[in-house]
Amino acid sequence: MTPPDAFAGYTPLASAFDELFSAPGLPRPAFERVAASLKAESAADFEHRQALAEAILLQEGVTFSVYADQRGTEKILPFDVLPRMIAAAEWAALERGLKQRITALEQFLHDVYGPQHILNDGTVPRDLVLGAKHYLPQVQGISPTGGVRIHISGIDLIRDAEGIWRVLEDNLRTPSGVSYVLENRLVTKRVFARSFAEAKVSRVDSYPTKLAEMLRSVAPAGVDDPRVVVLTPGRFNSAYFEHGFLARTTGAPLVEPGDLFVGAGDRVFVRTVRGPMPVDVIYRRIDEAFLDPEVFRPDSMLGVPGLMRAWSRGTVTLVNAPGNGVADDKAVYAYVPDMIRYYLGEEPLLAQVPTYRCDRDEDRAYVLDHLEDLVVKAVDEAGGYGMLMGPQSTAEERATFARQIQQTPRRYIAQPRIELSTCPTWDHEAGAFMPRRVDLRPYILSGRDGPWVLPGGLTRVALVPGSYVVNSSQGGGSKDTWVLKA
Amino acid sequence: MTTPMIARIADHLCWLGRYVERADATARLLIVTRTLALDADLSAEELWLPVLVAAGEDAPYLARFPGPVDGDQVETYLTWDCGVSLLSSVRAARENAWSVRSTSSLEVWQAINELHLWLEADGRKLFERSRHDFYRRVQRFAQLIFGLTQSTMLHDQALDLLWLGVLLERAGQVARAIDVHHLALFEAPDPAVGAMMWLGVLRVCSAYEPFARRRPGQATGPNVAEFLLLEADFPRSIRFSLTEAHAALTRIAPPGSPAGQRAGAHLRRLCDWLDAIQRDTLATDLHGILTHVVDDTARLGSLLWDDLFSGRAGA
Repeated sequence: MTPPDAFAGYTPLASAFDELFSAPGLPRPAFERVAASLKAESAADFEHRQALAEAILLQEGVTFSVYADQRGTEKILPFDVLPRMIAAAEWAALERGLKQRITALEQFLHDVYGPQHILNDGTVPRDLVLGAKHYLPQVQGISPTGGVRIHISGIDLIRDAEGIWRVLEDNLRTPSGVSYVLENRLVTKRVFARSFAEAKVSRVDSYPTKLAEMLRSVAPAGVDDPRVVVLTPGRFNSAYFEHGFLARTTGAPLVEPGDLFVGAGDRVFVRTVRGPMPVDVIYRRIDEAFLDPEVFRPDSMLGVPGLMRAWSRGTVTLVNAPGNGVADDKAVYAYVPDMIRYYLGEEPLLAQVPTYRCDRDEDRAYVLDHLEDLVVKAVDEAGGYGMLMGPQSTAEERATFARQIQQTPRRYIAQPRIELSTCPTWDHEAGAFMPRRVDLRPYILSGRDGPWVLPGGLTRVALVPGSYVVNSSQGGGSKDTWVLKA
Repeated sequence: MTTPMIARIADHLCWLGRYVERADATARLLIVTRTLALDADLSAEELWLPVLVAAGEDAPYLARFPGPVDGDQVETYLTWDCGVSLLSSVRAARENAWSVRSTSSLEVWQAINELHLWLEADGRKLFERSRHDFYRRVQRFAQLIFGLTQSTMLHDQALDLLWLGVLLERAGQVARAIDVHHLALFEAPDPAVGAMMWLGVLRVCSAYEPFARRRPGQATGPNVAEFLLLEADFPRSIRFSLTEAHAALTRIAPPGSPAGQRAGAHLRRLCDWLDAIQRDTLATDLHGILTHVVDDTARLGSLLWDDLFSGRAGA
């Protein structure tokens, strides 16, 4: 007698869209073939595969929060072995929407730091934009070396109860996580070899090549064979694994701020064993507040003094350009559909989440009356911090947020809580698959030739039962994302 | 465009090599001393105190464990519990490997990471269960890592820097291994004990069989010392290690390059000095010669920093 398949008892939540099953035992049509292959496995098989996947990630050192404590305990980003799947046609539509969005955001940034047409004619409120925490007056009037501002972006997408994809937020500064996409894929290819081959999945391993090409394409004018480096805050940074990953897969040296200095002719140099060598392109994974103590934080010991001067003189390309944070501000987000219409003359292809801006009186009144139903977010925070999940909050938390909203209304927005879609996710305690909420962060590279979207992206999953928060800092994990070929 | 090695990374590569070699050397010293203890007719004090002295840990050890020296306690101390323990060498190797993850190779990184994970978990169990297997396992890991550096890394500056660290550490460790027993060796009341100690030193350096092939039946103090110090063809002799280190440093910083010239000249002088050593001074001033080697390689370490790894030269 064969044991029952591992999905036998799987029941999608009534309130949410399940990515794999439309009803118990009934896979969505696009995934029937893969589901049949996965159903050949027993619960014990999945338990084994899950353990194997975790062991591989630990051995390879695919870890984060390194040196979080004195003993050097390292954690792998929690990984769920069952991939999240996206049908070919669905992905094609998402890809078009993402390109459209990133094109409009790029134009918005050039406009804001240039002629400010969109502010002058009132399409987006001037105070909102120029008052954003991450608007950098130092960048005003500077055209970025290499011509591009948003070279690398991650756009967070969610799916609501009807299965409609919606943009949750834009990450236009130093989005992280792409290394996990590639490492997760290596793991699923090892532990799910057969199902993977049968599923016909779009490859993700072209990312480093595309990244290297993009970085070379945006070098300062006249540089044919640019020297590109990846700049990390250092090995104690929680994303250090990724910084090293990007450096070695693109062949660029991984440098720290102390390795660089600005020398003659406002050029950036790197200290090598053969003396200083000029640097043309810097893929910086350092927050811009710590890029250049001459400009941003005179008290900071970090950074490269003079780097902004070199950039503004056009001797070096910074990837991403400083100042992009004004466009991924959570309040400015509300105007992205208007930007798409304004700059491209098109209707937005991707929906987003209705957003209340607490600096508008009627919005704020509504938000304060409905805190229990809404998700409140600080506009300049990320990683799931500065957030109130209304329906799960305590009266005390709501009182705290109400006070903060009244004190600094510009800092807050609120959105209805979206019933995030779910994926079957292995629950070790239960020894079975359970529906857990997911989101998706696709990665977009934009060089001189326009945007390119990595097929798939990072699926983050809220591993805690009932949770809506997918951030790794808050008990979230990740899954491999399989974009099926047409 | 290829970029010469980043100065800071160069430093980490050098230390990575050093720490793996140091972990290996600690395992060698402990396994051999342990084996000697089985039939050496020497007191625990006579056998183990020199080991602590060589590690520079005699004072802290004696402060922590007053009373008669206990071999098992020394092994535990030098493997797990002190600043220069085998465990701390492996941890430091791994930290440096983490810093140069993008410059070494996937396989080198995995092997070091695996050694570290093993040591902290199953390694501790094996240490309790079968000490001999434990040390052998550490040595095997070290040799695996060294082999992988040769077979999976680009043969460029990164490899030379890593091996510069290995070779300088090796020269220092071999000098210490000889020096540990130099008094007992030359002044042993019983020639049989002296010979046995010499054989022990040869084993620490994996030199027993190579020595026997060069000097069959002639395991005297001066012969062994000469072999370990000066044998041009033996890969763990001090002269071989330093000559190779000099060759690596010359490839890293060739004549005319803006950095590393002072360190290169210093190492050249040390090699020349070794070449000029007369056999009869080995017997009269072995300790002085070994001390010079240890001190001079240590000075080289700070010269390398000023001249090469700080990135200030030529800037």
